[in-house]
Amino acid sequence: MAAEEDSGEFYLRYYVGHKGKFGHEFLEFEFRPDGKLRYANNSNYKNDTMIRKEVFLTPAVLKECRRIISESEIMKEDDNNWPEPDRVGRQELEIVMGNEHISFTTSKIGSLVDVQSSKDPEGLRIFYYLVQDLKCFVFSLISLHFKIKPI
Amino acid sequence: MASADVEAVDFEPEDDDLMDEDAAGDASPQAPMPKLKSAITGGASTSLSGPKKTKGRGFREDDADRHSRLASRDFESLGTDGGPGPQRSIEGWIILVTGVHEEAQEDDLHNAFGEFGEIKNLHLNLDRRTGFVKGYALIEYEKFEEAKNAISAMDGAELLTQTINVDWAFSNGPSTGGFKRKIMRSGRTHRSRSPRRRY
Repeated sequence: MAAEEDSGEFYLRYYVGHKGKFGHEFLEFEFRPDGKLRYANNSNYKNDTMIRKEVFLTPAVLKECRRIISESEIMKEDDNNWPEPDRVGRQELEIVMGNEHISFTTSKIGSLVDVQSSKDPEGLRIFYYLVQDLKCFVFSLISLHFKIKPI
Repeated sequence: MASADVEAVDFEPEDDDLMDEDAAGDASPQAPMPKLKSAITGGASTSLSGPKKTKGRGFREDDADRHSRLASRDFESLGTDGGPGPQRSIEGWIILVTGVHEEAQEDDLHNAFGEFGEIKNLHLNLDRRTGFVKGYALIEYEKFEEAKNAISAMDGAELLTQTINVDWAFSNGPSTGGFKRKIMRSGRTHRSRSPRRRY
């Protein structure tokens, strides 16, 4: 695990969104190998502004991001038995770390009830909590740097 | 002019410089990472340094949207003065503390980091599953010096029995790991001289 955290390629992208009466509403962020964090939040509700921000992170921040992913053990999971994306929405999580590359998709998860009632509660729970921890990390970085309130 | 030689010596790479210190203090040198193109956003170009084990439904779908969403160029960023080194945020300077004990309280961070300057903002995020501290904290100081002093004094220090690491959160340019110093030095002719800083 330590090796995964400290070296090798790293890329992460998370997307959650849906298409409805307010258009394509989504939140997406990306950690690039060169350290660039990109954040996009599009909602046509009330105002139709798309928030797009980017900032370079230090290796220390990327390392912490890798630690969070490694400790979640998400790379061992598989989205085979997760709920398929549907009209309500979709989530995508793509991670490249070490020699592994995952690209998982699933529906929106409202609460742990959705996790429990799925065909792979253990795997989906890992995804569910990891996504929240990553969002929390990204929102802190974006809000501190740009002084905006994400979402 | 006799003084010309003296000036030149002053710009030798070995000369002390604020930016050099930042790069040297980097605790986690990384191997240079090739520009990575997502399999999803950039087609099937994942063969960078050998084959990868791929997994997930995302590889079996083709969503045209994905190719454009983050590919756009009009992402806002704060202006930089070019060159590597820490980047200023809107209202101050942000540092990252890692290795924070899971039972740490905001007060513990305030006590340890308040002595370097007033803490304008502190994010001590929790693990969503356990409710304990996730392991990192983000701290904002108003002044560069305060943040820099906190990093110098607290990186590698002990907090609640755990060794913590402290570093800048944001940078002016790509993280190129070990190449940082080289790149910096080749470009130094365009930079004005930074004041000498020693603690």
